[in-house]
Amino acid sequence: MSLGRDGLAGLVILGISLALLVQAFQLPKLPIVPVGPGFYPSIVLGFLAAMSALLVLQDLARGRERAAAAAPQPRRNYRLVVAAFAIVAGYVVVLPLLGFRLATASFVVTLQAAIETPRTVRGWATLAAIAAGTTAATYLAFERYLLVLLPRGTWTGF
Amino acid sequence: MLELLGQGLATIVQWKYLLPLFLGTLVGVVGGSLPGVTITMTVIVVLPFTYGFDPLAGLAAMTGVYVGGSTGGLVACCLLGIPGSPSSIATTFDGFPMARNGEPGRAIWLGVWASVWGGLLAALFLVFLTGPLAAIALEFGPWEYFSLFVLAMAMVAGLTEASLVKGLIATGLGLLITVIGTDPIGGVPRFTFGSAFVGGGFPFLPVLIGVFAFAQIMTDLEKLTGPAGQAQPSLAGVKFERFSHLKVNWEIFAQPFLLLWSTIVGLIIGILPAIGGSASSVLAYDQAKKFSKTPERFGKGHPEGIIASEASNNANVSGSLMTIMAFGIPGDAVTAVMLGAMTIHGIQSGPLFISQNPGIAYGIYAAYILAHPCMLLICVALMPLMLRITKVRMAVLAPIVLVLCVIGAYALNNTMQSVYVLFIFGVVGYALVKLGFPLAPLILGLILGDQIELNLVRAIMTDSDPLLFVTRPISAALLAAAVLSVLAAVWQHLRQRGRVPAEEEPDF
Repeated sequence: MSLGRDGLAGLVILGISLALLVQAFQLPKLPIVPVGPGFYPSIVLGFLAAMSALLVLQDLARGRERAAAAAPQPRRNYRLVVAAFAIVAGYVVVLPLLGFRLATASFVVTLQAAIETPRTVRGWATLAAIAAGTTAATYLAFERYLLVLLPRGTWTGF
Repeated sequence: MLELLGQGLATIVQWKYLLPLFLGTLVGVVGGSLPGVTITMTVIVVLPFTYGFDPLAGLAAMTGVYVGGSTGGLVACCLLGIPGSPSSIATTFDGFPMARNGEPGRAIWLGVWASVWGGLLAALFLVFLTGPLAAIALEFGPWEYFSLFVLAMAMVAGLTEASLVKGLIATGLGLLITVIGTDPIGGVPRFTFGSAFVGGGFPFLPVLIGVFAFAQIMTDLEKLTGPAGQAQPSLAGVKFERFSHLKVNWEIFAQPFLLLWSTIVGLIIGILPAIGGSASSVLAYDQAKKFSKTPERFGKGHPEGIIASEASNNANVSGSLMTIMAFGIPGDAVTAVMLGAMTIHGIQSGPLFISQNPGIAYGIYAAYILAHPCMLLICVALMPLMLRITKVRMAVLAPIVLVLCVIGAYALNNTMQSVYVLFIFGVVGYALVKLGFPLAPLILGLILGDQIELNLVRAIMTDSDPLLFVTRPISAALLAAAVLSVLAAVWQHLRQRGRVPAEEEPDF
């Protein structure tokens, strides 16, 4: 008997549900309300724990079917997805440090290049123009027109 | 009622509202025509621009996006053979064959005109039925509300294609997110672990934007495995044949039952919570084929297939608006974003919405109606450009959309905390999609979680007898419908067992 993707996901959710369920039971009772703050979360977490346990059981029961019916899946570029998440994480981190304008221009350049690296000087120029255009257009639209105060960089003051 | 509608129309035709409506419709048409960009994503992109608007102007812009996006998807359907947005999926079945048969203009304009007439027909239902529906909802007590929300979640979880259990887990996860933070009754912190970051709970819109936008963009990126290419011969850039708009309209009105029935199908699917336009498009197509005198022509460029799909997906918009305005329940992800925008402006949707905010309610009706001529005008003026737009590359699109998502989260309260929430839930959303969990039930749980808890506690505080949930007739009927919905889903899933699954497509 082995667990598949669904079984593992079910186990993780079951673990989280049970851990939080214990916490829900420990929440204080309120004198003026007939049900305490833990009442509703206990129902939700109990339901979630039951469903995730069912998912694990379903996965265990399907073990053989899964091995037999595993259809070939098309190729996926997970390396690009990891890179994209890393670039977005970097953007989120540097946004308050460099400020909106510098961080956004760098982000657009980096993500575009990661998705489709330009091979010519003209390609790089287009990429840079899109980054500059995106930054300028969003800055003007939000900061100037819609009066949203976009992040200033603590390092750059810009 | 008609007087209020007249006032709504008079308000919306002012530049202050007409311009956002027109621009929203334009962005919707463009976003809808881009393969891989859903209407939800487009409305998320537009959302931050609406923060600074008057509430009605913001909602008019979003209504425009919704209507425009529902139509824009057909361009990619007819010319590329892939739906520009999921709600146009059934248009591909006959639109692309018709275009390949040398009639791309007829295919696209049949779709555009069917969208216009289907949408305007559905507007009648929107204007005349929303009020009575809200009046019914006004009779509800906390027991009925609780049961109604349970029914909504049971239906959405049950209708997910992947797995009923996964649908229910996704619903539970959505509800779980809402209990993190301060308890709404006594103000007791729950599951915060002493962290100030989660002390106030997770703001709804950054979670929604993160879950939907990241899940979709990353799913699109993972498909980029080589040099950009298209699986099917593209007709983008092709020149239209000579055709007559009058003849196209005659084709539509020659089959009034098809137009009316497709509109009603779209409307009903729109009213049902969180079921997207794709279901209405496919169901209307299926119905059209069943009622057709020439079912064998479907899939080979039959005009009936295009009319059914496009009339239905625009009517779906009207149904979704009815649900949000009468019950405060989003008909789908797009109206979930609209609900979030209403909350930002301090507007409470639900049965009292129309009576308390008649100006905004009838303004939304008017915006919905006027979005259709706007969309028609945009299609007439920009069709040659739209044929090129379908070719925009992901490398250009993805960073721009992500920047707007970050601004959308940041501008909510001008803090980085919402951006961190956006990113965290972006990762969670993508992981859930990869694990085969549907996102629609999660979002519905997220939206309704607070209301479910409040109504449950209110019911218990009013009368501690739990049997009232099953002895009050409307509440009992709603709960019985919820149980039936789950049982029907179990039966459906058991019937499908043993079939080899196709490649799993994420449910946006």
